[in-house]
Amino acid sequence: MTRSEHLFTANIVDTVIFRSLGKSPSPHLRSLKQAVSEADTELWVPPSVYRELTNYGVEPPKNPYLDTGIEEGWIRVATPLPTNRNTAFDQISDPVEQAQHLADDYLNQQIKYPNTNNWRDASIVALAVRLFEQNTRIRVITHTADEALAQACALIPPEFGYDDIKSEYYNPPQKAKQQFPTVESLSWSMK
Amino acid sequence: MSYDTEHVRNAGNGPAMITGLPTFTDLLTNTNLADLYTAIRQSPGVTAPELIDQVAVSKKTVYEYLHRLERAGLITETENSDGTSTYDAEEFELTLTIRGIEVTITPTLVAVIAQSDPYPVINRVCDEHGFVTFALAHDLVNAHSDGDVTIRQIATLTDLSHGTTYDLVEALYEVHDLGDDDPSLTTYTPDDMDDNELQSELTDE
Repeated sequence: MTRSEHLFTANIVDTVIFRSLGKSPSPHLRSLKQAVSEADTELWVPPSVYRELTNYGVEPPKNPYLDTGIEEGWIRVATPLPTNRNTAFDQISDPVEQAQHLADDYLNQQIKYPNTNNWRDASIVALAVRLFEQNTRIRVITHTADEALAQACALIPPEFGYDDIKSEYYNPPQKAKQQFPTVESLSWSMK
Repeated sequence: MSYDTEHVRNAGNGPAMITGLPTFTDLLTNTNLADLYTAIRQSPGVTAPELIDQVAVSKKTVYEYLHRLERAGLITETENSDGTSTYDAEEFELTLTIRGIEVTITPTLVAVIAQSDPYPVINRVCDEHGFVTFALAHDLVNAHSDGDVTIRQIATLTDLSHGTTYDLVEALYEVHDLGDDDPSLTTYTPDDMDDNELQSELTDE
């Protein structure tokens, strides 16, 4: 058996992708559940993505995009990621936190309005590095509709020795409705 | 001879009577008026009967709106050799500056307002957050299509909720037909990336 046959594929998904699919129940989410099962994968989101999709206007708060998938076990919310953006990079030893800082810096360099809100964007990259740190037999696919973030996802994990990553960029964002809930988008086979 | 004064630039280039100023601002709040102006702008030389077939208001309202747009100088009426009237739209910019914030109303923004029926989020943002926020969000969505901002940044810079921001992003991508025509996804891999900038960050430790 080759090394690639031993590897499990995890998919990290940004907020915009779930927004495109709509609230549960939706035909797109049903297609997604089926595709996740057929691709033998699971979907991960950082806590910040879960919060962005949560409706806090009801008691208790509900997440109409993610809660059903979480209850059914095919969507997983990561435990909290580093939160201290102000720590100097050279004082950090945790690769996950380092990755989030590097992603934050990279986004600041690439986009027009630096320091606005990149820390939460960077959590997608940090989660990828954490999954690599915690699982030796894993490869990761990220899904976002922000170009610079999509590039950061492919650029930064290899700095920590993790090359089994690819990053899917949805442009325009509504492309996610048809292209994301498919076995092809959730599977590793390279184009 | 063209000349400028304190309040008028390019004066002297012929008559330029502008009356009916409320029509300019009505373009931002009256979807049907915006739709009619945009229809004329997109089809120079269009006739009134053709417009009646294109827009969602009565024949009487079309003629009333044509009169208002003409009085404001936003369209011009010309007569064909067969006696039918045709209409052309005039480009315009209406710039407002208040408390240091400058916002410019243009035909491009009016064309977006005209799409409020199929995309209710456009009216919702204008009504609940004001025109400056709408115009700002509009421009930032265009910047997003160029890769210059992320969607979270648009939400932060405009102070719109995440949900409203995502709805508006999707609507404006569709209205302006932004994004890649290729139905397949763009895939980035480590081999696609130049890591020079990151290397400098790491070696700075």
